[in-house]
Amino acid sequence: MSLEIKRDYNTQENRWDMVLAGEVDINNASQLRAELKAMFEEKASSVNIDIKELSYIDSTGLGVIIGAYGRMKEQGISVKLLNPAKNVEKLLKITSLDRIFL
Amino acid sequence: MTDILKLQLPGKPQYVSTVRMVIASLANSAGFDVEAIEDMKVAVSEACTNVVCHGTNGDDLYEISCEISDEQFCVSVQDQGEGVDMDQYQAPNLDCPKEGGLGLFIIQTLMDEVEITSEPGRGTKIRMVKYRQE
Repeated sequence: MSLEIKRDYNTQENRWDMVLAGEVDINNASQLRAELKAMFEEKASSVNIDIKELSYIDSTGLGVIIGAYGRMKEQGISVKLLNPAKNVEKLLKITSLDRIFL
Repeated sequence: MTDILKLQLPGKPQYVSTVRMVIASLANSAGFDVEAIEDMKVAVSEACTNVVCHGTNGDDLYEISCEISDEQFCVSVQDQGEGVDMDQYQAPNLDCPKEGGLGLFIIQTLMDEVEITSEPGRGTKIRMVKYRQE
């Protein structure tokens, strides 16, 4: 399954709203990396990523989000993951990433 | 009785999702519950990702072997790559997450038994087992 990425800048909240759907794995994690990079180059703001329709993410995809978080933390902005499916939430919990992103 | 199924595929990223589908289908047919199926799918996928990233030049084949019995579902992912010195492996520091290094940790957390054998020059084998719950 492929990955669909949508994003809009929320001017009321001064943040990016991103929606991910499908699967993120080794084959398309670079697509997510490029999109996050382009987004922050356009405007360095916090981002809420809705992952309700994300059925799968692997360590490569998590690594991309961790990398974005690391670069943004220095600028005082945050990354949040919203509405994870049960399987994705389990992965976030066992890696303790829920403490950062949920 | 144990059924053995083997799959050989090139170490290319586009085939990792195919492996996930095969594992999910086999585990489902073998009667595992949804959560166990998801655990196996994630763990095997991480092992394949490891091969794609470290264990092959992309054209070389690696092998996935599944042994399904009344007691358990065992999957071995074996490459013929460079191998690594497992004494050098460090578990990730979860208080300070980094971009890489989560794969093996995820496999070890989700499966009931995990055995990693790897030696420089002799490839890597990750053998992982999920027990059948009563």
